[in-house]
Formats: sequence, C-alpha cells, structure tokens
Amino acid sequence: MSDNFIERPRYVCALGGAAATIAALPGGIPILHAASGCAGNFAWAQNGGSGLQVGGYCGPLSIPSSNVQEREVVFGGDARLREQVESTIKVMDGQIYAVLTGCVTEVIGDDIKTVVADFRDQNVPIIGAETGGFKGNSYWGYDLALQSLFREFVERGTAKVKNSVNLWGVVPSADPFWRGNLEGVRRLLEALGLTVNSFFTSEDTIENIRKAGAASLNIVVSHVYGVEAAKLFEEIHGTPFLSLSLPVGASASEAFLRSVGKALKISRQKVNTVLSREKQAYFRFLEPLTDCLNDLDLQRYAVVVGDANYATALTKFLADDLGWLPELTVCTDPLEDEEKDRLTSQLNVLESRYKTTLVFETDGSRAIEHLQKKWPPAGGQKYHNAFSPAFVIGSSLERELAQTVGAPHLSVSFPVSNRAVLDRGYTGFRGGLRLTEDILSAVVAGR
Amino acid sequence: MSYIDLKSPPKREDRLKACIAHGGTICEMAGAKGKKSCLHDDGERSFTQGSICLILPALAMLNTLPDNVVLLHSAIGCGGCTHSQNTNVRFGSNARWGRPKDGVWLSTAMDETDVITGGEEKLEQAIIEADRRYRPFSITVVAGCVPGIIGDDIDGVVQRVQPQVTAKLLPVHCEGFKTKIWATAYDAVYHGIGRTLLSPGEQSPTGDGLAPFKGLERLPRTVNLMNVSSMGRVDEVELERLLTTLGLDVNVFPVFAHPENMVKATQAALSVSTCPTHDDYFLGYLEERFGVPSLIRHMPIGIENTGLWLRDVAARFGEEEKAERIIEHEERELREALEVFRPVFEGKRVFISAGEFRALATARLLEELGLTVTGIRSFHHDEFAEGEYRKLADSSKDDYVVDVANVQPFEEANLLKRIKPDLFLGHANGNGTAAKLGIPTHVIYNTGLAYIGYRGVYEVARRLYRQLKNPIYNRKLGENLRLPYSDAWYTADPFSHIDQRGGTAA
Repeated sequence: MSDNFIERPRYVCALGGAAATIAALPGGIPILHAASGCAGNFAWAQNGGSGLQVGGYCGPLSIPSSNVQEREVVFGGDARLREQVESTIKVMDGQIYAVLTGCVTEVIGDDIKTVVADFRDQNVPIIGAETGGFKGNSYWGYDLALQSLFREFVERGTAKVKNSVNLWGVVPSADPFWRGNLEGVRRLLEALGLTVNSFFTSEDTIENIRKAGAASLNIVVSHVYGVEAAKLFEEIHGTPFLSLSLPVGASASEAFLRSVGKALKISRQKVNTVLSREKQAYFRFLEPLTDCLNDLDLQRYAVVVGDANYATALTKFLADDLGWLPELTVCTDPLEDEEKDRLTSQLNVLESRYKTTLVFETDGSRAIEHLQKKWPPAGGQKYHNAFSPAFVIGSSLERELAQTVGAPHLSVSFPVSNRAVLDRGYTGFRGGLRLTEDILSAVVAGR
Repeated sequence: MSYIDLKSPPKREDRLKACIAHGGTICEMAGAKGKKSCLHDDGERSFTQGSICLILPALAMLNTLPDNVVLLHSAIGCGGCTHSQNTNVRFGSNARWGRPKDGVWLSTAMDETDVITGGEEKLEQAIIEADRRYRPFSITVVAGCVPGIIGDDIDGVVQRVQPQVTAKLLPVHCEGFKTKIWATAYDAVYHGIGRTLLSPGEQSPTGDGLAPFKGLERLPRTVNLMNVSSMGRVDEVELERLLTTLGLDVNVFPVFAHPENMVKATQAALSVSTCPTHDDYFLGYLEERFGVPSLIRHMPIGIENTGLWLRDVAARFGEEEKAERIIEHEERELREALEVFRPVFEGKRVFISAGEFRALATARLLEELGLTVTGIRSFHHDEFAEGEYRKLADSSKDDYVVDVANVQPFEEANLLKRIKPDLFLGHANGNGTAAKLGIPTHVIYNTGLAYIGYRGVYEVARRLYRQLKNPIYNRKLGENLRLPYSDAWYTADPFSHIDQRGGTAA
C-alpha cells in the first residue's frame, strides 16, 4: 500500500458518494455547489463501474450544479449558489433537495449553511452537506449525506413505534448491486414481521423518511459505511443501532436474523419458524445441484478483492456456504485502524473455521504479491501444491489477476464494467442462490 | 512568445473567444440574415446542470498511451471517469495488438491535510514511487481543481523530480474551474506532449523546416492523422484505407501511440485533422516549430465531407485525379448500398446533440441519408464551425434551433417536447433525456462503432435503420418514466435561463 497514491481508485469522492445517495432518495435532487466537471465525472464513473447503471430520476448530467468558475473563486460563490437554488426549485421537480459542496467551494469557504437555512425557512425541503472531495471517498460521502438527512430532514421528537426499523449501509452506485441488496435485506426483515424503512427502494416514500425517527432500531448492514450516521441518529433521535455484516447468503442471513431478533426481543420461536421456512426453500433449490457440484469437483481456492462490505461478506459466503477455500481477502478501501479491526474480527469467527488472510491494500495490482507470499509460484518441481483450482472474485479490474493465476473470475465489487446489473442482489437466502449461480456459471462457462 | 512556452495553454474562451451559452438558429449561426455569426458574446446561465470538465477528455487521451502511467494530482474522485474510459483502452489495445489491457492510473488522493499543508511533497514522492513500481516510459502528471486552487506548482515539482526518475514526466493542466470550454483539454494534452516529447533540443539551425531534428529526415509521403480518442480503431482503419489508396503512409497520433514514437509527428509531410475542435492548437505548433503543414477544415463524416476531406489531402500531394476516381467509385458504391434504407429515413425529423463540429458534420450526414434536421445542440461554439453552419443553412429548407450548451439537458428536454423529433442523436451519456421522452436515440460517439468515412456513413445508416425499425423500448420508457423537470419548465422559454450579459467574465 502506497502512502503517496491510490492505484485505480475504486470509488469516487465524498461529493460523488453524496450525490449518488441523494439521487437515490425518492424524488431526490442533489444541487452541487462545485466546479462543472464533477457531475460528468460521476456519470462516466458509474457508466464504467456500476454494472451499466447511470443516474436514475435525477442522475449525473441532469444534476443541478452551480458550475463555479474563477470568478467565484475570487469573489466567493454564495450569490451564485443562491441563484442556483432559486432556479433549481423552479425548474426541477423534487421531493427533497440537497446542496452538496465540492472541493473548490469548500476550499474558498462558501457558507452553504446560511443559504440552505434561508430556503428551508421558505418551506423548501432542503438540506446541505459539506462533501468536498478531499474529505474522503464515495462511502464517506454517503455517510455525510445520511448525517445531513438525519440532522436536517428527519422530524425530531417522534414517538417510537415497536418493530419498526430503518435500514442502511449499502451505498448507491458504489455498490453496483445496491438496489437488489437493499431489497434482499428488506425482505429478510419483513419476514420477521418488521416494518422497514430503507430510504432508497421503490417501496420507500419521502413521508416515511421524514418520520424515520419513529424507528425502534436502526440496522446498518456494514461495519463501516453509515456507522457515523447511525451514531448521530442515536444522539439526535434516540434510536439505537446494530452494525452487522452485509448478509450475503444463507449462513450470514441466519446470523443476521438471529442478531436482529435478539435486539428487538422477538421470540426465538418466531425467528426459528422464519429460518426453517427460508432454509427449506433454499435447500430445495440447492438439491438438484448436488450431482454436478460433486461430480465436476467444483470446490475452489479463492482470492477475494472488494470493498469493506464485500471483502468480508464474500469471504464468509465462500467459506461457510459454498465450502470453498478463500485463501486471501484484499480489502481495497482506505480505512482507519479501528475499522480494520472490526473487519478483521469478522473473519476470525468463520463457521467453517477456515483460516483466511485479510490484507488492507488500496492498490489492487498488489494482490498478486500478497498471494505469492502465501502461495509461492512453482519452481519447476514435480510435485507442487499449487494455488489451483482457483477462483477470483472481485471487481472487473481483477481480470488481470485472474488471468495470471489461471482462474475464472466474477466482478461483484466496484468497478463492475463487464456485467449488467438491475435488480440482482446477493443478500438474503435468495441472494446466496444468485451468487452461487453466478460463480458456478463463470466456472463452467466453457462447458 | 509561443503559447507552448507558457506553463499551461490559454483557455479557449480567451484564445478563440469560444462561447458556451447561446440560444439561436441555424441561419443566425451561419450569418445568413446579416448577423455576425462569430464571435458571439458569451452568455451566462442562472440555472445550470453539471457537465464534464477538461479532465475527462484529457484522460480519455492519456489513458490510451501505451507504457504511460496517469498520475492524477487531485482529490480522490477526479479520474473516476477512467472506469468507463478503460473500456476504450481495453478494446483499443485488443483491436491494435490482440490483447486487452487495463490502463494504469493513480491518484495522489489529496486529503484535508494536503489542502492545508500543500501537496507538492506528496506528488514528488508519488512520482518517484510510481516510476520505481511501474517502470513506465512516461508519467503524465494531471492536475485537477485542488492543486490549482491551493497553488501547488506541478511544473516545479516535475522539474525537481525529473532528474531522479527514468520516466519522462509530462505535466498536464486540467483545473476544471479555470475554463468553461472543456475542449481546452486537447490543448492541455498537446501542450504537455509538445513541451516534453517533441523537444529534443537539436533543431535544424537553418530553420527551413526540412530537417526537424538532427538525424531525422522528413518523410515525404507520411501524413499525421490526428485522433484524440473520439475515433475508434474501426474509424482509423477506414481513413487509413482511403489515404493508403492515395499512396500515403499514415501516422496515427496521439491516442494509442507510444510516447517514444511521438517525435515522428514532427517528420511528417502533412498533418491532417479529423476534427478542428480537437486539433487546431497542436497543428499550429507543429507548423510553426517543425514546419509540418496541416489541413484543418473538414471532418470526414458524411459523404460530401469525406470527399472534401480527401480532396484536400490529395491536392497537397498532386493526387487530385486519383482522388476524384476514388471518390466517384466510393460514392457510387455507397449510394447504391444505402438505397435499401432510404424509405425508412425519408422525411424523418432528427435532433442532434454533441461536440460542435461532430454534431454539425453528423447533421450533414443525416441529411444525406434523407432525414430532416430540426434542431442542433452544440457543446460550445468557435470560429472553426462557421463553414459547417453555412453548409447546413444552405441545405435546409427551414430555419431551426441551435442551442449552444455544455450539456444542460433541461434546455434539451424543453426543446424536444416542442419539436417532437422522430429521432435523436446524442453524445455518450447524453441520450437519456430523449430516451425518457420516448424518442428513438443513437449515440453520436462511441469508439467501438464506425462513424467516419464512407464506411461510417453506411454503418450509421445500418444502426439508425435498426433503431427506427423497432423503437418500442424508448417508447415504453416514455410512457412510464418522467424526467425530473417541473411542468412549469416545459411551458417556459427554453433559453430563459440564458442571460446574454456578454463577455466571458471570469
């Protein structure tokens, strides 16, 4: 990992993450207070990284932006922002507007808070967040956008409603499978009889978001993304939160439901009933795979490369659901030590007791060096315990790694340039079946 | 002093008086009604949508260079566009060398500390580390907004570090807030190439332009064919085919050209532009400093334009007769082949949106196919397009709208609702608005597809034919989705947010 650069960053900046987050809200209209190129940069990043998905209702090149120039740098951009917000609420039909700053306007110190407050005083549903690109990556921008939503939009003092939960932790566009993944988790929670507010799915409404303070529990399906927002939510609205792994596949979903059941004091019997129903369906689907899975010797060693959500979730899935041998897990996010510890502890307790190696490495092309430390290449000897048969699961940038180790490959974590993603998600029991299909399809593609 | 002696090229607002906010018509733009067509005073918009900045086209070029590492000196998000441009890099290297290859790009990922303390030291270390790790022939150091605003001197860093590294270092200035005209990107990249790769220091003392470098000879039949990444290999092949028939050797430059070989561009007998918006800055430099004459007039898109382009080249080599024979043969063959599509195109009304020259040349192509142009949105306007506006004004029965806008889909949505064209052609990532209005669309630029030369005409026709034969996908989108604009906006004047207060105040 270099201290001086990040290789092929697998995310955009805080502004990009925040813009994608706001655009994913029902009727969400981001208003960038930024230089003109930021929105276009996000459009092209999504075009090449988010499984062919760009934008949405008010996607990148439709996003209002003040497009500041040198003049604003010299004289300040407050007046331009005010003009832009004024015209935006006339031209754009939104249910919620969010002013988001970029690098330039943040460095010059424009005061967006006052502008936003003035429009809110005129009953415009508007929030603001300081998301200058140098503050961090897409994931942090997501957290900042949520913080602003929880601070400035969600009503305060709402009475708590039993068995009502908010769900977040999946980052729009930065996770190409975000829509399917959110729906998968939502279905798991609904199976427990919970009312779920997940902000970004087609079942969510702006009114429910406004009343999100009524939730008795917040569930963050990430050990990193949205955790700060959860702390802030608890502080402001008094709702505690659970930070859990993204539940990819059957084993993780079972653990997930048990944790949620425990936190909400749902009877063990009820949780068991739900689990036995889901597992029965799950294994009915797996059953016909048994012959080929065994006959074709489909068990594989694996390298996993992914963001903080996927690195651990995919490793667990491979080890505990597929019974594969994930030898190396590379997490490509730049993280704080405390965050690294949280992720590391997730892989210390695999149900299969398989021991994997987790490294934090922002330069994806170094994965091969980490692998070769553990699995040295053959030196021409007759008997060599090679890293084979193998599989590489990561982003589309791992195609070169896969080629080097002679393994089939599947893109899951951003960037996903070589797949089309619509409603597919890998969370829940059904998600585990999808992932099994996709992984095995890559293995047998030449059959 | 030549522009190239400056650290960074001037912005096009200043150099070409290019403008970016104007609502007009084709006749007005062509000056047909006695108005001056160029240069308009630029306008300002009171409502704007996000666009691209010069860093995107610059990276689209730089990412293709073999044996080059792109080092972005900026915040972490700048360069995210590379994830889609990388597709072009992979397909492009596969088409040329039979192997898909990812580009290598790095970001210094400037954070809050760097903003406060300055990022020069980090950049210095990043260059040294990148040189050791990747061992590239060159490292292009691309500056985004943050270094521009906090005052990092990337040229100074490059100068300091160059003796310590093997790679050639090219600074490229792409501070997005400094220019509204993102075509300045081409100047920025060419500027870096010109200052770094074409300056071996030993030029002919006679200044006769015949021996650009000591030991290098002028190549009498070689032409530079400029491609700044808006053409894919398939288009290069078509132009190479035509130029080779004239008996010429072709040096495609600069995309996918190895930086080491770029000096060859100074030896050519002629440089041929495929798009004036792209090339004028550098062709001027090649002419001025190395005596390489250039052609920069027509874009070889469409039947007539391809012929004009080829005739111009042929005339420089005394091959006029050969060119006429080629053109006659090519046109006859092509027109016959197009017959089958004509009934579907005849009288269909089309709206076109893209970079200025490309949009206008493509508009001519569509007219040649039998379509009627009803509106054009050009991303900017400068003097090079005057001839193209005149061609279109001459060939059009009725006057129609021209929107000069750096994307701004809200103006487009308003115009499309009024005009209701049968077909829309837009830039990459620029077809969504029309598609959601239910209009069949086609992309005006995609480096995997053919657009240029005679083959381009035929392939565009084939693709449009497919779109028009079954436009139901977009129709259903139009029935079920809505654009994010208020109802009031559709009844407003589409140009009501343009304030022609004039000048390029900055």
